[in-house]
Amino acid sequence: MSTLATLRSQRRWKAAGLLVPGLLLCSAASADRIERHFKVEAHPVVTIHNPNGTVTVRAWTKADVMVVARRATTEVEVDAEQTGNRVDVQTRQVADTASPDDLRTDFEISVPEDAELQIHNDSGGVNVSNVLGDMNVETIAAGVDLEDTAGYLTVKTVGGAFQCLRCAGRLEVTSISGNFKLIDLRSYYVRAQTSEGNILFNGSFLPNATYVLKNYSGAIEVRFSPGDSFDLSATSLKGKVHNEANLTPSSHHHFVPRFGNALFGTFNSGRARVELNSFDGTINILKRD
Amino acid sequence: MSTKDCSEFLGRFDAWMEGERPPEARAHVRQCPSCRCLVEDMDAIRLAAHAWSAEQTDPPARLWVSLRAQLEQEGLIRDGRLRELPVEQTSERERPRGWFAGIFTVVPRPALAGAYLLALFALCVALTGPSAKQLNESRWISGTQDSTGTLSAQLQTAERDSVSAMAGSDPVVTASLHDNLAIVDNYIALCEKSVREDPESEIARDYLYDAYEQKANLLAQMTERGVNGR
Repeated sequence: MSTLATLRSQRRWKAAGLLVPGLLLCSAASADRIERHFKVEAHPVVTIHNPNGTVTVRAWTKADVMVVARRATTEVEVDAEQTGNRVDVQTRQVADTASPDDLRTDFEISVPEDAELQIHNDSGGVNVSNVLGDMNVETIAAGVDLEDTAGYLTVKTVGGAFQCLRCAGRLEVTSISGNFKLIDLRSYYVRAQTSEGNILFNGSFLPNATYVLKNYSGAIEVRFSPGDSFDLSATSLKGKVHNEANLTPSSHHHFVPRFGNALFGTFNSGRARVELNSFDGTINILKRD
Repeated sequence: MSTKDCSEFLGRFDAWMEGERPPEARAHVRQCPSCRCLVEDMDAIRLAAHAWSAEQTDPPARLWVSLRAQLEQEGLIRDGRLRELPVEQTSERERPRGWFAGIFTVVPRPALAGAYLLALFALCVALTGPSAKQLNESRWISGTQDSTGTLSAQLQTAERDSVSAMAGSDPVVTASLHDNLAIVDNYIALCEKSVREDPESEIARDYLYDAYEQKANLLAQMTERGVNGR
């Protein structure tokens, strides 16, 4: 064998030596990827209970629920089972000694667009897009992002932020310190309450819709267009109210408020009802750029 | 009776309820069964509301007792077993600090969320009941202070137990719960100050009620997570 051929042969063995452990590692990693499929009918209910990790749910056109879980370690077990038209997914701690990082599991779940979702996630994050069924999301520190969702949406966080982009239907969201961003909503009922967080509402005011935004401190910012039509009540007990809307006196409020930082009036024909309340935060009613 | 008369009467119904009752309106009420029925209903509601607010100046004690009785009846409290133990037979941890603390040792903890809400109902009654202007302001202030004082003390006890139950939980979650509990406590203090400064402010009372509700919900979440170990 020539010297050149010997060198090539040595390189091949070296490459093989590197490749084999690499494949084993990949194999070990893929062992922690769990994929399950469930055939469902119209309007399935999907519940996800995952204390630590991200939960991403997307709608697709198949009549299937696909659950892909990636767990950090085998200290946590993923249970996914179907009962009728309901799919329950949850993580379960196997060993008592496991640290919180060991229990982290990330989920990517695909559901039919008419699925109803119930999601519990303490820390990590929740992202849902294009799902049109009702939804209940509860978290502690995890943020919640909804995009192009509809139905009756109920979101409750303790410290997690909430963002809703192009959501429709009915929205109720509460938090203690989470900030809210409600962008381009098409909801006919919005009730958002956070204690310390800020609330930004930048979307259309639908006719006959109700928007109630409330906090203790922080800022409430509402953006409006010249074509919007709403009846406004804005009250900050200890804070300030800034307004850029040209309001006419409202026919619904005959009394003069006892506190100074309140504003009542109608913008255009007052077709939507907008209530903004703060304890000592600032309320800004600003023209949309 | 013509519809026109009825619509005229109903158009001035606010004035009627405020005591402005001209002879023609009285005559209409006498002759029109449907408007008479409405007036009678509204009078009954008003009387009931007055009676309710007058009775409820000191509701918490009764409500706490009935809450306890109901919990015992439903088996959520084991008939005060801990309270019957001689003090020397109970460890410091087991020793009840009032019946509310006893609940924490025997009640399935998730069930406490319901108990919190009942407690909040008591507070709500105390906060909203005496809002009628006819009531004596000092009576209202003292009633509010009594009722919130009781609830506040019991929530503090609940808080101690909830915090100890959280030991060993996810530190990120625990930190978030503690931080937010501090935020809520701060708002309770601010709202109480605001209510003291302006006892007739319904808005301040509403915020105070909301803050207590948030605290109760938060403690229930902490307790639940402590028990479930997640």
